[in-house]
Amino acid sequence: MKQKLNQSILTLLLSLVFTLPVMAAQQEAPLPETFAEHKVVLQISDSDPFKQTLVLNVAANLQRYYGASNVDIEIVAFGPGVRLMLQDNVNQPRIQSMIEGGIRFSACSNTLKNFAKKLGEDPLVMPGVNRVPAGAGRILQLNAAGWQLLKP
Amino acid sequence: MLNKTSQLKKTALLIALAGAMTSQSVHAANWLMVQGTEKDHQAPRAKVWGFVQAEYQQTDDTKLKAGPYAGKAAAFNQMAPQLDTSQGFNVRRARIGVRGNNFPLDNKINYFILAEFGNNGITTGGDASQGQLTDASVTLNHIPGARIRAGLFKTPGAEEGLQAIPVFNYVNFTNVTDRLLLERHFDNSTNNTGRSQSVGAFRDTGVQVFDAFRVGDWEHSYAVMLGNGNGLAMTDKDKHQDLYLYASTEKILDNSKGPRRAGLKFFAWMQDGKRTLDDVGTVDRKRSGLGTTYWDGKYRLAAEYITADGMIYGGTKGAGTPDDGATFSVLTDEKASGYYLDLGYRVLPKLELNVRYDMLDSGTEEDANHREFQTTTLGAQYFFNKKTSVRLNYEMRSIDAPDLPAASPVHDILDSIDDRLSAQVSLVF
Repeated sequence: MKQKLNQSILTLLLSLVFTLPVMAAQQEAPLPETFAEHKVVLQISDSDPFKQTLVLNVAANLQRYYGASNVDIEIVAFGPGVRLMLQDNVNQPRIQSMIEGGIRFSACSNTLKNFAKKLGEDPLVMPGVNRVPAGAGRILQLNAAGWQLLKP
Repeated sequence: MLNKTSQLKKTALLIALAGAMTSQSVHAANWLMVQGTEKDHQAPRAKVWGFVQAEYQQTDDTKLKAGPYAGKAAAFNQMAPQLDTSQGFNVRRARIGVRGNNFPLDNKINYFILAEFGNNGITTGGDASQGQLTDASVTLNHIPGARIRAGLFKTPGAEEGLQAIPVFNYVNFTNVTDRLLLERHFDNSTNNTGRSQSVGAFRDTGVQVFDAFRVGDWEHSYAVMLGNGNGLAMTDKDKHQDLYLYASTEKILDNSKGPRRAGLKFFAWMQDGKRTLDDVGTVDRKRSGLGTTYWDGKYRLAAEYITADGMIYGGTKGAGTPDDGATFSVLTDEKASGYYLDLGYRVLPKLELNVRYDMLDSGTEEDANHREFQTTTLGAQYFFNKKTSVRLNYEMRSIDAPDLPAASPVHDILDSIDDRLSAQVSLVF
Protein backbone atom coordinates (compact mmCIF):
# COMPACT_ATOMS: atom_id res chain seq x y z
CA MET A 1 0.00 0.00 0.00
CA LYS A 2 2.83 2.32 1.05
CA GLN A 3 4.78 1.39 -2.08
CA LYS A 4 1.74 2.17 -4.24
CA LEU A 5 1.40 5.56 -2.55
CA ASN A 6 5.06 6.32 -3.13
CA GLN A 7 4.68 5.36 -6.78
CA SER A 8 1.69 7.69 -7.11
CA ILE A 9 3.58 10.58 -5.51
CA LEU A 10 6.55 9.91 -7.77
CA THR A 11 4.30 9.83 -10.84
CA LEU A 12 2.68 13.06 -9.73
CA LEU A 13 6.02 14.76 -9.15
CA LEU A 14 7.36 13.58 -12.50
CA SER A 15 4.19 14.79 -14.20
CA LEU A 16 4.60 18.17 -12.59
CA VAL A 17 8.25 18.39 -13.60
CA PHE A 18 7.39 17.69 -17.26
CA THR A 19 4.17 19.68 -17.51
CA LEU A 20 5.20 22.84 -15.67
CA PRO A 21 7.32 24.25 -18.53
CA VAL A 22 4.53 23.46 -20.99
CA MET A 23 2.04 25.22 -18.75
CA ALA A 24 4.39 28.15 -18.45
CA ALA A 25 4.80 28.31 -22.21
CA GLN A 26 1.06 28.33 -22.71
CA GLN A 27 0.48 30.90 -20.02
CA GLU A 28 -1.39 33.88 -21.37
CA ALA A 29 0.30 37.24 -21.55
CA PRO A 30 -0.97 39.57 -18.84
CA LEU A 31 -3.91 41.82 -19.60
CA PRO A 32 -2.99 45.47 -19.86
CA GLU A 33 -4.25 47.77 -17.14
CA THR A 34 -6.32 50.52 -18.65
CA PHE A 35 -8.99 52.99 -17.69
CA ALA A 36 -9.79 53.87 -21.27
CA GLU A 37 -13.44 54.04 -22.25
CA HIS A 38 -12.82 52.20 -25.53
CA LYS A 39 -10.66 49.12 -25.89
CA VAL A 40 -9.75 47.83 -29.34
CA VAL A 41 -7.65 44.94 -30.60
CA LEU A 42 -6.65 45.13 -34.27
CA GLN A 43 -5.76 41.96 -36.15
CA ILE A 44 -3.17 41.78 -38.92
CA SER A 45 -2.64 38.33 -40.40
CA ASP A 46 -1.89 39.33 -43.98
CA SER A 47 1.37 40.44 -45.58
CA ASP A 48 -0.39 42.68 -48.11
CA PRO A 49 1.35 46.08 -47.92
CA PHE A 50 -2.00 47.80 -48.36
CA LYS A 51 -3.34 46.02 -45.26
CA GLN A 52 -0.16 46.78 -43.32
CA THR A 53 -0.67 50.46 -43.97
CA LEU A 54 -4.39 50.17 -43.36
CA VAL A 55 -4.09 48.63 -39.88
CA LEU A 56 -1.65 51.36 -38.86
CA ASN A 57 -3.94 54.04 -40.28
CA VAL A 58 -6.91 52.64 -38.38
CA ALA A 59 -4.98 52.57 -35.11
CA ALA A 60 -3.61 56.09 -35.57
CA ASN A 61 -6.93 57.50 -36.63
CA LEU A 62 -8.82 55.83 -33.77
CA GLN A 63 -6.38 57.30 -31.30
CA ARG A 64 -6.71 60.71 -32.92
CA TYR A 65 -10.51 60.44 -32.98
CA TYR A 66 -11.05 59.36 -29.36
CA GLY A 67 -7.91 60.76 -27.78
CA ALA A 68 -5.02 58.68 -26.48
CA SER A 69 -6.39 58.47 -22.95
CA ASN A 70 -9.84 57.36 -24.08
CA VAL A 71 -8.93 54.41 -26.24
CA ASP A 72 -6.62 51.47 -25.56
CA ILE A 73 -5.28 49.90 -28.74
CA GLU A 74 -3.30 46.73 -29.29
CA ILE A 75 -2.30 45.48 -32.73
CA VAL A 76 -1.82 41.72 -32.78
CA ALA A 77 -0.02 40.06 -35.67
CA PHE A 78 0.11 36.41 -36.54
CA GLY A 79 0.89 34.42 -39.67
CA PRO A 80 2.22 36.51 -42.58
CA GLY A 81 1.00 39.60 -40.75
CA VAL A 82 4.01 39.37 -38.42
CA ARG A 83 6.16 40.83 -41.23
CA LEU A 84 4.72 44.18 -40.18
CA MET A 85 6.63 43.97 -36.90
CA LEU A 86 9.95 42.66 -38.18
CA GLN A 87 12.99 44.86 -37.93
CA ASP A 88 13.51 47.14 -40.97
CA ASN A 89 9.90 46.96 -42.09
CA VAL A 90 9.36 50.09 -44.12
CA ASN A 91 6.85 51.24 -41.47
CA GLN A 92 9.33 50.90 -38.59
CA PRO A 93 9.73 54.63 -37.86
CA ARG A 94 5.98 55.01 -37.79
CA ILE A 95 5.51 51.97 -35.55
CA GLN A 96 8.19 53.18 -33.13
CA SER A 97 6.39 56.49 -32.93
CA MET A 98 3.05 54.75 -32.32
CA ILE A 99 4.59 52.63 -29.56
CA GLU A 100 5.81 55.81 -27.92
CA GLY A 101 2.26 57.11 -28.30
CA GLY A 102 0.84 54.22 -26.28
CA ILE A 103 -0.27 51.74 -28.93
CA ARG A 104 0.87 48.18 -28.18
CA PHE A 105 2.17 45.79 -30.82
CA SER A 106 2.11 42.04 -30.19
CA ALA A 107 3.72 39.42 -32.40
CA CYS A 108 2.80 35.73 -32.33
CA SER A 109 5.62 33.55 -30.97
CA ASN A 110 4.34 30.50 -32.85
CA THR A 111 4.66 32.40 -36.12
CA LEU A 112 8.11 33.64 -35.18
CA LYS A 113 9.20 30.06 -34.48
CA ASN A 114 7.96 29.02 -37.91
CA PHE A 115 9.77 31.97 -39.48
CA ALA A 116 12.96 30.85 -37.68
CA LYS A 117 12.62 27.34 -39.09
CA LYS A 118 12.25 28.69 -42.63
CA LEU A 119 14.95 31.33 -42.28
CA GLY A 120 17.44 29.17 -40.41
CA GLU A 121 17.79 31.95 -37.85
CA ASP A 122 15.58 33.93 -35.48
CA PRO A 123 13.85 36.81 -37.23
CA LEU A 124 14.56 40.19 -35.68
CA VAL A 125 11.52 41.84 -34.16
CA MET A 126 11.32 45.61 -33.76
CA PRO A 127 12.18 46.99 -30.33
CA GLY A 128 9.07 47.60 -28.25
CA VAL A 129 7.04 44.84 -29.86
CA ASN A 130 5.71 42.28 -27.36
CA ARG A 131 5.89 38.58 -28.06
CA VAL A 132 2.74 36.71 -27.12
CA PRO A 133 2.53 32.90 -27.03
CA ALA A 134 -0.15 32.76 -29.71
CA GLY A 135 -1.49 35.71 -31.71
CA ALA A 136 -4.94 34.21 -32.18
CA GLY A 137 -5.04 33.32 -28.48
CA ARG A 138 -4.11 36.86 -27.55
CA ILE A 139 -6.99 38.21 -29.61
CA LEU A 140 -9.43 35.81 -27.91
CA GLN A 141 -8.02 36.76 -24.50
CA LEU A 142 -8.42 40.48 -25.13
CA ASN A 143 -11.80 40.05 -26.75
CA ALA A 144 -13.06 38.07 -23.75
CA ALA A 145 -11.80 40.83 -21.47
CA GLY A 146 -13.75 43.54 -23.31
CA TRP A 147 -11.50 44.57 -26.20
CA GLN A 148 -13.44 44.91 -29.42
CA LEU A 149 -11.89 43.16 -32.39
CA LEU A 150 -11.35 44.96 -35.68
CA LYS A 151 -9.93 43.27 -38.77
CA PRO A 152 -9.33 46.05 -41.31
CA MET B 1 -22.99 47.26 -25.89
CA LEU B 2 -24.03 45.96 -29.28
CA ASN B 3 -24.82 49.46 -30.48
CA LYS B 4 -21.52 50.74 -29.12
CA THR B 5 -19.67 47.96 -30.88
CA SER B 6 -21.47 48.55 -34.11
CA GLN B 7 -20.85 52.31 -33.92
CA LEU B 8 -17.20 51.77 -33.17
CA LYS B 9 -16.83 49.42 -36.10
CA LYS B 10 -18.55 51.86 -38.45
CA THR B 11 -16.36 54.70 -37.23
CA ALA B 12 -13.25 52.59 -37.57
CA LEU B 13 -14.24 51.47 -41.05
CA LEU B 14 -14.83 55.04 -42.20
CA ILE B 15 -11.56 56.13 -40.65
CA ALA B 16 -9.77 53.20 -42.25
CA LEU B 17 -11.20 53.95 -45.67
CA ALA B 18 -10.20 57.59 -45.33
CA GLY B 19 -6.72 56.50 -44.35
CA ALA B 20 -6.51 54.03 -47.20
CA MET B 21 -7.59 56.63 -49.74
CA THR B 22 -4.93 59.06 -48.62
CA SER B 23 -2.09 56.62 -48.02
CA GLN B 24 0.67 56.23 -50.60
CA SER B 25 1.93 52.76 -51.25
CA VAL B 26 4.59 53.69 -53.75
CA HIS B 27 8.29 54.27 -53.53
CA ALA B 28 10.04 57.59 -53.63
CA ALA B 29 11.06 58.91 -57.06
CA ASN B 30 14.63 57.85 -56.80
CA TRP B 31 14.80 55.74 -59.94
CA LEU B 32 17.70 53.63 -58.68
CA MET B 33 15.68 52.66 -55.62
CA VAL B 34 12.25 52.52 -57.27
CA GLN B 35 13.41 50.05 -59.89
CA GLY B 36 16.09 48.18 -57.96
CA THR B 37 14.67 47.63 -54.50
CA GLU B 38 11.47 46.70 -52.69
CA LYS B 39 9.97 48.03 -49.51
CA ASP B 40 11.35 46.14 -46.52
CA HIS B 41 9.01 43.42 -45.25
CA GLN B 42 6.17 44.69 -47.40
CA ALA B 43 6.87 43.37 -50.87
CA PRO B 44 4.87 40.37 -52.01
CA ARG B 45 6.40 37.22 -53.42
CA ALA B 46 5.25 38.26 -56.90
CA LYS B 47 3.51 41.48 -57.78
CA VAL B 48 2.18 41.54 -61.33
CA TRP B 49 2.24 45.00 -62.86
CA GLY B 50 2.65 46.75 -66.18
CA PHE B 51 1.40 49.50 -68.42
CA VAL B 52 -0.13 50.22 -71.82
CA GLN B 53 0.53 53.27 -73.98
CA ALA B 54 -1.54 53.56 -77.14
CA GLU B 55 -1.04 56.54 -79.42
CA TYR B 56 -1.80 58.38 -82.61
CA GLN B 57 0.84 60.32 -84.55
CA GLN B 58 0.63 62.45 -87.64
CA THR B 59 2.81 64.59 -89.90
CA ASP B 60 2.01 66.25 -93.23
CA ASP B 61 4.09 63.59 -95.00
CA THR B 62 6.07 66.18 -96.93
CA LYS B 63 8.19 64.39 -99.53
CA LEU B 64 11.93 64.83 -99.73
CA LYS B 65 12.75 67.95 -101.73
CA ALA B 66 16.21 66.89 -102.86
CA GLY B 67 18.85 64.20 -102.67
CA PRO B 68 18.90 60.57 -103.84
CA TYR B 69 15.34 59.99 -102.66
CA ALA B 70 13.82 63.25 -103.86
CA GLY B 71 10.07 63.00 -104.22
CA LYS B 72 9.89 60.01 -101.90
CA ALA B 73 8.87 59.66 -98.26
CA ALA B 74 11.14 61.28 -95.68
CA ALA B 75 12.14 58.97 -92.80
CA PHE B 76 11.75 61.75 -90.23
CA ASN B 77 8.12 62.26 -91.29
CA GLN B 78 7.20 58.59 -90.80
CA MET B 79 6.09 56.73 -87.72
CA ALA B 80 8.73 54.65 -85.97
CA PRO B 81 9.67 51.88 -85.89
CA GLN B 82 8.48 50.69 -89.34
CA LEU B 83 8.82 54.10 -91.08
CA ASP B 84 6.21 53.26 -93.68
CA THR B 85 3.36 55.63 -92.82
CA SER B 86 3.15 59.25 -91.77
CA GLN B 87 0.04 58.89 -89.63
CA GLY B 88 -1.86 56.26 -87.71
CA PHE B 89 -2.43 54.46 -84.45
CA ASN B 90 0.12 52.37 -82.62
CA VAL B 91 0.41 50.51 -79.35
CA ARG B 92 3.85 51.81 -78.62
CA ARG B 93 4.24 50.14 -75.24
CA ALA B 94 2.48 47.19 -73.66
CA ARG B 95 4.61 45.87 -70.86
CA ILE B 96 3.90 43.33 -68.20
CA GLY B 97 6.19 42.34 -65.40
CA VAL B 98 6.59 40.69 -62.04
CA ARG B 99 8.60 41.96 -59.10
CA GLY B 100 8.94 41.35 -55.37
CA ASN B 101 10.78 39.34 -52.73
CA ASN B 102 10.89 35.76 -53.99
CA PHE B 103 11.16 34.61 -50.35
CA PRO B 104 9.12 37.22 -48.50
CA LEU B 105 10.70 36.53 -45.10
CA ASP B 106 14.11 37.52 -46.49
CA ASN B 107 13.87 41.22 -47.23
CA LYS B 108 17.49 41.28 -48.38
CA ILE B 109 16.76 39.88 -51.82
CA ASN B 110 14.39 41.14 -54.49
CA TYR B 111 13.90 40.70 -58.22
CA PHE B 112 12.42 42.56 -61.21
CA ILE B 113 11.25 41.09 -64.53
CA LEU B 114 9.57 43.01 -67.37
CA ALA B 115 8.72 42.21 -70.99
CA GLU B 116 7.62 44.41 -73.88
CA PHE B 117 4.77 43.44 -76.21
CA GLY B 118 4.21 46.82 -77.90
CA ASN B 119 5.41 47.95 -81.33
CA ASN B 120 8.62 49.93 -80.97
CA GLY B 121 12.39 49.72 -81.32
CA ILE B 122 12.59 47.09 -78.59
CA THR B 123 10.39 44.60 -80.42
CA THR B 124 11.85 45.22 -83.89
CA GLY B 125 15.28 44.90 -85.46
CA GLY B 126 17.33 41.76 -86.02
CA ASP B 127 15.95 38.81 -84.06
CA ALA B 128 13.75 40.97 -81.80
CA SER B 129 10.19 39.80 -81.44
CA GLN B 130 6.88 41.16 -80.18
CA GLY B 131 7.46 39.73 -76.73
CA GLN B 132 10.90 40.92 -75.77
CA LEU B 133 12.48 40.71 -72.34
CA THR B 134 13.58 44.18 -71.23
CA ASP B 135 14.46 43.63 -67.57
CA ALA B 136 15.51 40.63 -65.49
CA SER B 137 17.48 41.46 -62.39
CA VAL B 138 18.21 40.34 -58.85
CA THR B 139 19.17 42.79 -56.10
CA LEU B 140 21.17 41.73 -53.03
CA ASN B 141 20.74 44.17 -50.15
CA HIS B 142 23.12 42.62 -47.64
CA ILE B 143 25.88 45.22 -47.51
CA PRO B 144 24.85 48.53 -45.90
CA GLY B 145 25.48 51.33 -48.39
CA ALA B 146 26.30 48.98 -51.24
CA ARG B 147 23.33 47.19 -52.71
CA ILE B 148 24.20 44.93 -55.62
CA ARG B 149 21.94 44.54 -58.64
CA ALA B 150 22.81 42.01 -61.34
CA GLY B 151 21.15 41.11 -64.62
CA LEU B 152 19.45 43.16 -67.33
CA PHE B 153 18.09 46.55 -66.26
CA LYS B 154 18.13 50.30 -66.90
CA THR B 155 21.57 51.81 -66.73
CA PRO B 156 22.19 54.74 -64.38
CA GLY B 157 22.16 57.79 -66.64
CA ALA B 158 20.08 60.55 -68.17
CA GLU B 159 16.72 61.37 -66.63
CA GLU B 160 14.62 60.68 -69.74
CA GLY B 161 16.09 57.21 -70.03
CA LEU B 162 16.24 56.27 -66.37
CA GLN B 163 12.83 57.50 -65.30
CA ALA B 164 9.78 55.25 -65.27
CA ILE B 165 8.26 55.75 -68.72
CA PRO B 166 4.63 55.84 -67.50
CA VAL B 167 5.39 59.16 -65.80
CA PHE B 168 7.23 60.60 -68.80
CA ASN B 169 5.51 63.89 -69.56
CA TYR B 170 5.66 63.72 -73.37
CA VAL B 171 4.92 61.24 -76.13
CA ASN B 172 8.31 61.42 -77.87
CA PHE B 173 11.82 61.75 -76.51
CA THR B 174 13.94 64.83 -77.09
CA ASN B 175 16.36 64.72 -80.03
CA VAL B 176 19.34 64.51 -77.70
CA THR B 177 17.94 61.47 -75.89
CA ASP B 178 16.59 59.84 -79.01
CA ARG B 179 19.70 60.14 -81.16
CA LEU B 180 22.51 60.02 -78.60
CA LEU B 181 21.20 57.74 -75.86
CA LEU B 182 18.55 55.46 -77.36
CA GLU B 183 21.21 53.34 -78.97
CA ARG B 184 20.63 51.68 -82.33
CA HIS B 185 22.84 48.67 -82.90
CA PHE B 186 24.22 48.00 -86.37
CA ASP B 187 26.64 45.47 -87.84
CA ASN B 188 28.54 48.13 -89.80
CA SER B 189 29.08 51.86 -89.66
CA THR B 190 27.39 52.41 -93.06
CA ASN B 191 25.10 50.68 -95.55
CA ASN B 192 23.00 48.94 -92.91
CA THR B 193 19.60 47.90 -94.25
CA GLY B 194 18.31 47.76 -90.69
CA ARG B 195 19.23 47.42 -87.03
CA SER B 196 20.95 44.22 -85.98
CA GLN B 197 18.93 43.91 -82.76
CA SER B 198 16.52 45.79 -80.48
CA VAL B 199 17.33 49.37 -79.58
CA GLY B 200 19.31 49.62 -76.36
CA ALA B 201 16.28 50.97 -74.48
CA PHE B 202 18.68 52.61 -71.97
CA ARG B 203 19.43 49.13 -70.62
CA ASP B 204 22.39 46.82 -70.32
CA THR B 205 23.31 43.47 -68.85
CA GLY B 206 25.77 43.67 -65.98
CA VAL B 207 26.20 44.37 -62.31
CA GLN B 208 25.56 47.60 -60.40
CA VAL B 209 26.50 48.74 -56.90
CA PHE B 210 24.23 51.48 -55.61
CA ASP B 211 22.37 52.96 -52.68
CA ALA B 212 20.61 56.04 -51.39
CA PHE B 213 21.15 57.88 -48.13
CA ARG B 214 18.62 60.14 -46.46
CA VAL B 215 20.06 63.10 -44.57
CA GLY B 216 17.24 65.23 -43.24
CA ASP B 217 15.18 66.38 -46.23
CA TRP B 218 17.96 65.49 -48.66
CA GLU B 219 18.54 62.16 -50.33
CA HIS B 220 21.93 61.37 -51.85
CA SER B 221 22.37 58.48 -54.27
CA TYR B 222 25.12 56.84 -56.22
CA ALA B 223 25.52 54.00 -58.70
CA VAL B 224 28.48 52.31 -60.31
CA MET B 225 27.75 49.77 -63.02
CA LEU B 226 29.74 47.52 -65.27
CA GLY B 227 27.85 46.15 -68.27
CA ASN B 228 28.31 44.45 -71.61
CA GLY B 229 27.40 47.59 -73.53
CA ASN B 230 25.28 45.55 -75.88
CA GLY B 231 21.79 46.77 -75.05
CA LEU B 232 19.09 44.20 -74.47
CA ALA B 233 21.27 41.36 -75.73
CA MET B 234 22.25 39.00 -72.94
CA THR B 235 25.84 38.59 -74.04
CA ASP B 236 28.45 40.88 -75.51
CA LYS B 237 29.93 41.22 -79.00
CA ASP B 238 33.39 41.85 -77.64
CA LYS B 239 35.45 41.58 -74.47
CA HIS B 240 35.04 45.26 -73.56
CA GLN B 241 32.68 46.24 -70.77
CA ASP B 242 30.99 49.61 -70.34
CA LEU B 243 31.43 51.61 -67.15
CA TYR B 244 28.49 53.66 -65.85
CA LEU B 245 28.72 56.22 -63.03
CA TYR B 246 25.83 58.16 -61.53
CA ALA B 247 25.32 60.51 -58.58
CA SER B 248 22.34 62.54 -57.49
CA THR B 249 21.17 64.65 -54.61
CA GLU B 250 17.58 65.63 -54.03
CA LYS B 251 15.84 67.98 -51.64
CA ILE B 252 12.54 66.24 -50.92
CA LEU B 253 9.65 68.63 -50.50
CA ASP B 254 6.77 68.02 -48.10
CA ASN B 255 8.12 64.54 -47.29
CA SER B 256 6.28 63.44 -50.43
CA LYS B 257 6.52 60.04 -52.07
CA GLY B 258 5.80 58.36 -55.35
CA PRO B 259 7.04 58.54 -58.94
CA ARG B 260 5.97 62.18 -59.01
CA ARG B 261 7.61 63.02 -55.70
CA ALA B 262 7.94 66.74 -55.06
CA GLY B 263 11.57 67.76 -54.89
CA LEU B 264 14.57 69.48 -56.36
CA LYS B 265 17.11 67.06 -57.79
CA PHE B 266 20.56 67.54 -59.24
CA PHE B 267 22.31 64.69 -61.00
CA ALA B 268 25.40 63.89 -63.03
CA TRP B 269 26.41 60.76 -64.91
CA MET B 270 28.85 59.30 -67.38
CA GLN B 271 29.15 56.19 -69.51
CA ASP B 272 32.36 54.92 -71.06
CA GLY B 273 32.44 51.92 -73.37
CA LYS B 274 33.41 50.45 -76.68
CA ARG B 275 31.50 49.03 -79.64
CA THR B 276 32.69 46.54 -82.18
CA LEU B 277 31.50 46.82 -85.78
CA ASP B 278 32.32 44.49 -88.65
CA ASP B 279 33.78 47.18 -90.90
CA VAL B 280 35.67 49.52 -88.56
CA GLY B 281 36.43 47.26 -85.61
CA THR B 282 36.33 48.52 -82.03
CA VAL B 283 35.53 52.17 -81.38
CA ASP B 284 34.83 54.29 -78.32
CA ARG B 285 31.37 55.27 -77.16
CA LYS B 286 31.27 57.87 -74.39
CA ARG B 287 28.35 59.76 -72.94
CA SER B 288 28.03 62.15 -70.03
CA GLY B 289 25.51 64.59 -68.67
CA LEU B 290 24.25 66.68 -65.84
CA GLY B 291 20.84 68.00 -65.07
CA THR B 292 18.15 69.01 -62.66
CA THR B 293 14.48 68.34 -62.03
CA TYR B 294 11.99 70.27 -59.92
CA TRP B 295 8.36 69.58 -59.07
CA ASP B 296 6.32 71.14 -56.28
CA GLY B 297 2.85 69.93 -57.19
CA LYS B 298 2.11 72.93 -59.38
CA TYR B 299 5.27 73.88 -61.24
CA ARG B 300 7.65 71.46 -62.92
CA LEU B 301 11.08 72.04 -64.42
CA ALA B 302 13.61 69.71 -66.01
CA ALA B 303 16.85 70.56 -67.75
CA GLU B 304 19.80 68.45 -68.82
CA TYR B 305 22.98 68.90 -70.82
CA ILE B 306 24.46 65.86 -72.54
CA THR B 307 27.67 65.26 -74.46
CA ALA B 308 28.62 62.32 -76.67
CA ASP B 309 31.86 61.09 -78.15
CA GLY B 310 31.73 58.30 -80.70
CA MET B 311 28.93 56.15 -82.10
CA ILE B 312 26.60 59.01 -83.04
CA TYR B 313 23.44 57.81 -84.80
CA GLY B 314 23.51 59.09 -88.39
CA GLY B 315 19.99 58.26 -89.54
CA THR B 316 19.25 57.10 -93.08
CA LYS B 317 21.02 58.10 -96.25
CA GLY B 318 19.42 61.20 -97.75
CA ALA B 319 16.69 60.89 -95.09
CA GLY B 320 15.06 58.21 -97.22
CA THR B 321 13.11 55.28 -95.84
CA PRO B 322 14.30 51.66 -95.78
CA ASP B 323 11.37 50.78 -98.04
CA ASP B 324 12.92 53.00 -100.71
CA GLY B 325 16.33 51.45 -100.21
CA ALA B 326 17.90 54.02 -97.87
CA THR B 327 20.46 52.52 -95.50
CA PHE B 328 21.37 53.45 -91.92
CA SER B 329 24.71 54.73 -90.69
CA VAL B 330 26.43 55.45 -87.42
CA LEU B 331 29.17 58.08 -87.15
CA THR B 332 31.78 56.17 -85.20
CA ASP B 333 34.31 59.00 -84.69
CA GLU B 334 32.00 61.98 -84.37
CA LYS B 335 30.99 64.06 -81.39
CA ALA B 336 27.74 65.68 -80.31
CA SER B 337 26.15 67.61 -77.51
CA GLY B 338 22.70 68.84 -76.68
CA TYR B 339 20.29 69.94 -74.03
CA TYR B 340 16.64 70.35 -73.20
CA LEU B 341 14.60 72.68 -71.06
CA ASP B 342 11.18 71.46 -69.99
CA LEU B 343 8.51 73.38 -68.09
CA GLY B 344 5.19 72.22 -66.73
CA TYR B 345 2.34 74.01 -65.01
CA ARG B 346 -0.60 72.27 -63.35
CA VAL B 347 -3.37 74.71 -64.23
CA LEU B 348 -5.92 72.39 -62.63
CA PRO B 349 -5.28 69.45 -60.31
CA LYS B 350 -5.88 67.11 -63.26
CA LEU B 351 -4.58 69.24 -66.13
CA GLU B 352 -0.96 70.09 -66.84
CA LEU B 353 0.36 72.28 -69.63
CA ASN B 354 3.88 71.63 -70.89
CA VAL B 355 6.44 73.29 -73.08
CA ARG B 356 9.82 71.84 -73.93
CA TYR B 357 12.69 73.07 -76.06
CA ASP B 358 15.46 70.69 -77.05
CA MET B 359 18.54 71.17 -79.14
CA LEU B 360 21.05 68.66 -80.51
CA ASP B 361 24.34 69.67 -82.08
CA SER B 362 25.33 66.46 -83.83
CA GLY B 363 28.43 65.54 -85.84
CA THR B 364 30.46 68.54 -84.78
CA GLU B 365 33.86 67.26 -85.97
CA GLU B 366 33.22 67.42 -89.73
CA ASP B 367 31.25 70.04 -91.62
CA ALA B 368 29.55 67.41 -93.76
CA ASN B 369 28.21 65.61 -90.71
CA HIS B 370 27.20 68.64 -88.69
CA ARG B 371 23.44 68.91 -88.05
CA GLU B 372 21.46 71.04 -85.63
CA PHE B 373 18.20 69.51 -84.47
CA GLN B 374 15.78 71.84 -82.72
CA THR B 375 12.31 71.01 -81.47
CA THR B 376 9.83 73.00 -79.45
CA THR B 377 7.05 70.85 -78.04
CA LEU B 378 3.75 72.15 -76.75
CA GLY B 379 1.88 69.66 -74.62
CA ALA B 380 -1.08 69.05 -72.38
CA GLN B 381 -1.71 66.17 -70.00
CA TYR B 382 -4.98 65.22 -68.38
CA PHE B 383 -4.87 62.84 -65.43
CA PHE B 384 -8.02 60.77 -64.99
CA ASN B 385 -6.39 59.39 -61.87
CA LYS B 386 -2.86 58.74 -60.66
CA LYS B 387 -2.44 55.82 -63.04
CA THR B 388 -4.36 56.82 -66.14
CA SER B 389 -3.67 59.87 -68.29
CA VAL B 390 -3.88 61.23 -71.82
CA ARG B 391 -1.38 63.59 -73.38
CA LEU B 392 -1.43 65.68 -76.52
CA ASN B 393 1.77 67.02 -78.08
CA TYR B 394 2.58 69.30 -80.98
CA GLU B 395 6.25 69.32 -81.99
CA MET B 396 7.67 72.17 -84.08
CA ARG B 397 10.74 70.59 -85.60
CA SER B 398 13.69 71.79 -87.63
CA ILE B 399 17.05 70.43 -88.74
CA ASP B 400 19.85 72.58 -90.11
CA ALA B 401 23.27 71.93 -91.60
CA PRO B 402 25.09 75.12 -90.51
CA ASP B 403 28.48 74.29 -92.00
CA LEU B 404 27.38 73.42 -95.52
CA PRO B 405 27.29 75.97 -98.37
CA ALA B 406 23.93 77.52 -99.11
CA ALA B 407 23.74 75.71 -102.44
CA SER B 408 24.01 72.28 -100.86
CA PRO B 409 20.96 70.05 -101.54
CA VAL B 410 21.18 68.91 -97.92
CA HIS B 411 19.37 72.09 -96.90
CA ASP B 412 16.43 71.13 -99.10
CA ILE B 413 16.41 67.61 -97.69
CA LEU B 414 16.35 68.90 -94.12
CA ASP B 415 13.71 71.47 -95.02
CA SER B 416 11.38 68.55 -95.70
CA ILE B 417 10.87 67.87 -92.00
CA ASP B 418 7.31 68.42 -90.77
CA ASP B 419 5.88 69.36 -87.44
CA ARG B 420 4.40 66.36 -85.63
CA LEU B 421 1.13 65.90 -83.78
CA SER B 422 0.77 63.07 -81.29
CA ALA B 423 -1.74 61.88 -78.74
CA GLN B 424 -1.31 59.10 -76.22
CA VAL B 425 -3.36 57.34 -73.57
CA SER B 426 -1.31 55.81 -70.79
CA LEU B 427 -2.49 53.33 -68.16
CA VAL B 428 -0.48 51.67 -65.41
CA PHE B 429 -1.78 48.67 -63.49
